[in-house]
Amino acid sequence: MTVTHGFLWMLVIISAVAQVQVVSWHRNLLQEWQGTDRTRHELLQENTRLVLEKSTLTAHGRIDSLARKKLDMKEPEHTQVFR
Amino acid sequence: MSNTEETKVEGVERWRFALVLAVFALLLLVVAGRMVMLHTIEQPFLFEQGEKRTVRSEVQMASRGNITDRFGSPLAVSTPVVTLWVNPQQVDPRKLTSVAKMLGINSRELIRKVDRVARQGRSFYYIKRQVQPEIAEQILSQKIAGLYGDDDFRRYYPAAEITAHTVGLVNIDGKGQEGLELAFEDHLKGSNGSRQVVKDLFGNVIKQLGVDSVAKSGNDLALTIDLRLQYLAYRELKAIVQSHHAAAGSAVMLDAKTGEILALVSQPSYNPNNRATLKPQHMRNRAIADLIEPGSTMKPFTVAAALESGKYSANTPVNTSPGYVRIKNKTIRDHRDYGVLDLTGIITKSSNVGVSYLARDLGAESIWQFFSHAGMGNPGTLGFPGEAVSSIPYPEQLDDLRLSTVSYGYGLSVSPLQLAETYTSFFDGCRQHVSLLLEQVGSQECEPVMSKRTARQMLNMLETVVSLKGTGKRAAVDGYRVGGKTGTAHKIGRGGYEDSEYTAVFAGLAPLTDPDLVLVVVVDDPKGQEYYGGEVAAPVFSRIMDQALRLRQVVPDKPGKDQMLQVAGGIR
Repeated sequence: MTVTHGFLWMLVIISAVAQVQVVSWHRNLLQEWQGTDRTRHELLQENTRLVLEKSTLTAHGRIDSLARKKLDMKEPEHTQVFR
Repeated sequence: MSNTEETKVEGVERWRFALVLAVFALLLLVVAGRMVMLHTIEQPFLFEQGEKRTVRSEVQMASRGNITDRFGSPLAVSTPVVTLWVNPQQVDPRKLTSVAKMLGINSRELIRKVDRVARQGRSFYYIKRQVQPEIAEQILSQKIAGLYGDDDFRRYYPAAEITAHTVGLVNIDGKGQEGLELAFEDHLKGSNGSRQVVKDLFGNVIKQLGVDSVAKSGNDLALTIDLRLQYLAYRELKAIVQSHHAAAGSAVMLDAKTGEILALVSQPSYNPNNRATLKPQHMRNRAIADLIEPGSTMKPFTVAAALESGKYSANTPVNTSPGYVRIKNKTIRDHRDYGVLDLTGIITKSSNVGVSYLARDLGAESIWQFFSHAGMGNPGTLGFPGEAVSSIPYPEQLDDLRLSTVSYGYGLSVSPLQLAETYTSFFDGCRQHVSLLLEQVGSQECEPVMSKRTARQMLNMLETVVSLKGTGKRAAVDGYRVGGKTGTAHKIGRGGYEDSEYTAVFAGLAPLTDPDLVLVVVVDDPKGQEYYGGEVAAPVFSRIMDQALRLRQVVPDKPGKDQMLQVAGGIR
């Protein structure tokens, strides 16, 4: 009787400690996940910003006028094309 | 005496003692009873209220899928932003002055509005939606009580007005309103996630109770559009619409071999990034939603039908003298008396009388059938909102007069996109179905319209239109063999065809040796001396085609005037 009792008591204490541990573990994981989620969000922000920046800088109209004005380029005359 | 006094005192004490005890017992009972009530009868209510004060249901916004061109250049991108709102019951309006300053809104007005909303007893008011995350962070770091920021997404259109009609736009809540954003709403939109969390006083999540749904971002959409071609088509179209003070214009460029839409532009256009300046009349996707009478651009199909019938060859003479023909009290005229023309000549000179003769000889049934195979009267297949459905009268409706008018492109209607689709059949006799999404390319078998031999003959005829003696000589492109057909249709007004309002059209292919591109240019109601398709639309066709062929690195197939080989900038 006493042996069984003692055993059950031990089980109760072990499970109680385990419960506390699991809760703590859960919260730590949650913290970690929230941190990474925030990072993900920031990276997404950064990414879309860069995508937009790139597409603005490489816009056809911009390249076209830069090539003409800054680099003094022009479309080849018809007679200048090798074929 | 003392004895009696003692008993008296004892008697009083006992009575008082009993009373106090009874009162205490009663109080205890009341407390116990209340406890029982709280724990049993009112428990569900209290539990719920308790949860309400600590457990929050959080929505996690899903980002909308991006739209890109065929090479992955972004056409529509969702970027994270923050929506700022206040609880007017909790916020001290005077503290909002600095917030208003940072957001560039009138602070006095903001305070007045928040005050009014607070007096109405409401507990939600938008300060500003879709704020740049950096600014929002600065504002939120001031930790003003009652001021909150929610994650949100804002849609940006990097190509702005150049792709506005095709891509469309979303409203402030991120729902598709126009164009592909509307047509593919279900494909693009993600599904928001939601979860139950316990938050502490500072709004930090300390416990996650459960996840109802995980946020799923929307799917991307890759178009067949080539942004470079789109850009140059837009630029040239805009220039011609402005210089001719035209009401509108559109241009469609297709890959002749696959039917992929490479460019799809309309004028006037709008900037989808600035909702304040939107005008409904600018939002019409004219290349898809407008029906035009194709006019003379239909003549090649009548001639092709004649060739297919076996009764005619490219050299069969047809007498178009005296340059007009009367059918049922109506006179069909040519520009002048062209005399005897062969079939090629009918196309070159765009003779109305010539094609009328051909159509009447072939009969309504066979013309109708041929035109139907070529795509006239087919419903649109893109699933685009507002896509026009082309129409052609049934053979029973085609009496002599209507048959004649149909043969030169009046009395039937197509959208510029459908017109371009019909022209893909000149590549190898098979009409390609147009596609706007990369994943749809090649999903539909092409529709046989004419034999390869006829198609080849037609290409040669179309080339004569662009020659010096043709109506579309201004469509010529240096170095490439180009073929096409001009068209000028009277616009329809209230009282029938308008005398002085026209739609100028040019439809064609290049290079003819191995057609790569089909291009249709439509200019609506050009003002001034020039209004013919060959004068207004053909030069635009030439400019767009010239640059597009160069961009796509198509090998020139027409030797120059000087046959000398010349090298510019090294040898390829």
